[in-house]
Order: sequence, then structure tokens, then C-alpha cells
Amino acid sequence: MVLELKNVSKTYPGGVQALRDVSFGVPQGQFLVILGPSGAGKSTLMRCVNRLVEPTAGSILFQGKDTGQGSLRAIRRQFGMVFQQFNLVKRLSVLTNVMTGRLGYRSVWRSLAYSFPEEDKRIAVECLARVNMEHKAFQRADTLSGGEQQRVAIARALAQHPKVILADEPVASLDPKIARQVLTYLRQVAKELGITVLCNLHQVDYAREFAERVVGMSKGAVVFDGTAAELTEDILHRIYYREEKAA
Amino acid sequence: MAAVLPAQPPGWRLPHIALAAALVAFLLWCADGVNLRPAEVAGALPVIGEYFARMWPPKWEFSEVLWKPAAETLYIALWGNVIALFIGLPLGLCAARNVVRSAALRNAAMAVLNLLRSISELIWAVFFVAAVGLGPFPGALALGVNFGGILGRLYAEALENIDPGPVEALAATGASRLQIIAYAMLPQALPQFVTYNLYWFEVGVRSATVLGMVGAGGIGFELVTTIRLFEWRETGVVLLLILAMVTVIDLASTYIRGRIYGS
Repeated sequence: MVLELKNVSKTYPGGVQALRDVSFGVPQGQFLVILGPSGAGKSTLMRCVNRLVEPTAGSILFQGKDTGQGSLRAIRRQFGMVFQQFNLVKRLSVLTNVMTGRLGYRSVWRSLAYSFPEEDKRIAVECLARVNMEHKAFQRADTLSGGEQQRVAIARALAQHPKVILADEPVASLDPKIARQVLTYLRQVAKELGITVLCNLHQVDYAREFAERVVGMSKGAVVFDGTAAELTEDILHRIYYREEKAA
Repeated sequence: MAAVLPAQPPGWRLPHIALAAALVAFLLWCADGVNLRPAEVAGALPVIGEYFARMWPPKWEFSEVLWKPAAETLYIALWGNVIALFIGLPLGLCAARNVVRSAALRNAAMAVLNLLRSISELIWAVFFVAAVGLGPFPGALALGVNFGGILGRLYAEALENIDPGPVEALAATGASRLQIIAYAMLPQALPQFVTYNLYWFEVGVRSATVLGMVGAGGIGFELVTTIRLFEWRETGVVLLLILAMVTVIDLASTYIRGRIYGS
């Protein structure tokens, strides 16, 4: 198991309980889709894994070690992240955006001079080539279409040389054709490089098409864990329309 | 089926009317405080007109003496802006909520910015003339300090309004706080910074035209001198030159700012 979640809970200040006692393990190289409606706690779950959000209870083990211990930088650079809104720095070039994926490895002072080692440039170009975007390396990020921006964002995540990619609703702002293209790239590079992918989705179709395994979430809890083929109507109903149980 | 609108929020109510009446009463009370005498203004209009009439025709030969102080005015505005950038940027960064987490540091930076801003550049110029002597240098310092306070606050607001998405994305790569500021925050706020600086350069040129009155260099000195010597035709030339200078700078800066946002 590259990643293990043990009884993870998160309650935000203000009382919203986003995660309730979530436990599951992820083996190396798996393409795991976390499926659930908006507000199910999928985004919070991802942010707990790379410690953008601190869980209130439970522990998360990465390669057997608790991610709550040790250097935050060292933990975070193992996890590439891809977002619904792409989150590229629009005014910087595509290449610089991808090179920011290397910042976690580099000394603060050199990077403050906006200078990257040759090695980082090489890595960035190589990652761009994996998503077929190297021909736009010197364009500004805001000149790209949505699908292209998301491919660049995947390249940025790859530039970290991560063990795991956390993709938070990566195709929710894209049309179906482009969405499939982006998910195909994500699955392909992950396979080639042996990277584990956790991908949040709310569309059942994509989950069926791309997932090796599906974890269904509803109201902060895991309500299903199995293969895409096991997603029956009954189970989908449980994920999307679960009634609030009396506590 | 007829569409049913929800109940409309009420319009003018008694409290609103009372508030408006109180506001008018307050304005009238203040009018007494400023000795508003509209009748006298009407009577004085011909006198003011007479002053302007004396400026005609402008004594164009005088402009030969004015090129140097006019250029000096631009230098003061330019260097005032550079100094303001160096004062405002670090303080603005420290005052922005999304850059600095410590409330104590933020409030301290805000307090310094407030102090710099609340004292007008003319007062700063008096201090700096006393400190470093007459000339354009205290003028540039005065503009720099006052505008530093203003720009710092504007920089902080520009930083607070950036898209937080790329900031989170860089935090997720393991980038440190300073790296996040350099790669996700500053590039997003930069166009704002440039337009603010251009705009305050415009304002600086206008301000620098009066700094000369307290001996802080620029064309203001000539302006005051000609007025004191009752050389009205020379005064006319100075005023026209200031008008021309400010107009050209305004047009140029408006054009550049339009280009930055147009692209």
C-alpha cells in the first residue's frame, strides 16, 4: 500500500463535519476514482492527504510513514495535485508554470531570482511532451484553452516526480470530449510512470470508463468500495441519494 | 398561471427620511463652521477675473527660465515614485492578509502605512527641507514617503484580491511561503502594481508643482516667486506650462494603462 487512510475525520471550525471515519488503502499504481455528489467530502479528503487541510482525527500513512510527522515540503512534493480550475499562474509562460512544480526541491534564494537549474528545464520539457504540450512552452498560460491548461497542470504535477497524483474534479469545467481526452492523458502517464492516481469525480460515466477501483462517498463517509463493474443502480442510489440517518 | 413575485422590500420608510433630514441638518451646521458666504463669492468673481486678465498676454520669453525647474518637477515625481515603490512594496506585502498570517505584523505594517499616508506630502517636505536642505531631493523624499504609504495600502489590497487557486496549487507542490509569493502572488498582482504606480506618477507631477512653495524644488518655486513679485504675465506662463505638462502625462499614462488592461 502506497497510501493508507486510518479513521480520518475532519470537522471544520463552525461545526461542518466533512469527513467521518474514512479508512481505505491504495496500492501502488492504482487509478482510483473517488465518486460522490458535491459536498460529499471528496475535496477535503484530498487536501488531508497532502496536508493542505489538517485532519481532526485519524492518521494518513504514505509508504508506511505518518504524513503528519516530518517536513511538510518533503511530504507535499510526493503528491502532485490537479484542480478543477487548473490553477495555473495565468501571466507566466507554460514552461515556467511547469517548472513551479520543481520549487519544492529548490532553495528559496535561487528561485526568488526567477532562475531554474538546467535540469528543471529539461524535466519540465519532458513532462510537457508527455501531455503533447511542448509546442506551446513559451506561450502565456492564459492563451490556452481549458483542456490545454489542464494538460499543462498535469505536466506541472508530473514535474514534481510524484508518487501519487491527487486530481480534484479535473474535468468538471471541460466539455465531454475534452474531458475524456484529459482523463486519457492522466491515465496514460500514470501507467507509464507507475504513479498512483486518486481522482475525484461526480460523473458516473467517467468513473465507469476510467476507474480501476471506485470509492463511493456520501456525506463524508465511505459507502462503497469496489470495481467500476460493481456500481449497480442500488449502489449509485446509496452514493447520491442517501437519506440522513438519525444519529 | 400567473407568476407570483415574493414580497417587495419596502421603499422609503420613516427612519430613512429621518436619516436624510439629519444629514441635511448636519451639512447646514457645518456650513456655519466654514463661514459659507455665497454672496461674497459672487462679488469676488470680477476680482478673480481681473487676476487672470493681468496674466494676459503670457510673457513667453520667461519660459526659457522654466525648462530646468519643469524638468526638475518630473524628476521629483519619478524618483518620488521609485522611493514610494521601495517603501510601499515591503510594507504592502506585510499588510496583506493572504501573505502574512501574523495579525500583529499585519497591524504593525498597516499602522506605519497609515502614518505615512495621513501626513500630507507638503508637511513631509517641510520636515525633509529642514533635514537635508533646500532642493529637489527633499521633494522626492516627501513624495516617496507619502506615496509609499498610499501605494503600500493599494498593493496590499491588490494582493488580497488575487485568485487563491494558483496559491493553493503551489502550496501543494511543496513550495515554501516565499516561493509562493514570488511565483503565484506577485505575477498576479503585477499589472495592478504597474497601473497604480503610473497613476500615482500622474498625481506626483501635480503634487511636485507645489512642493517648490516650501523650498523642495520644482516649478512651484517659480510660481510662488512670480506671484510674490506681482509678475502676473510670468505667472500665466508657469500655469500654462503646468497645465501642458500634467495633460501630457495624464494622456500618456492613461494610454499605457489602457494597453496593460487591453492586452
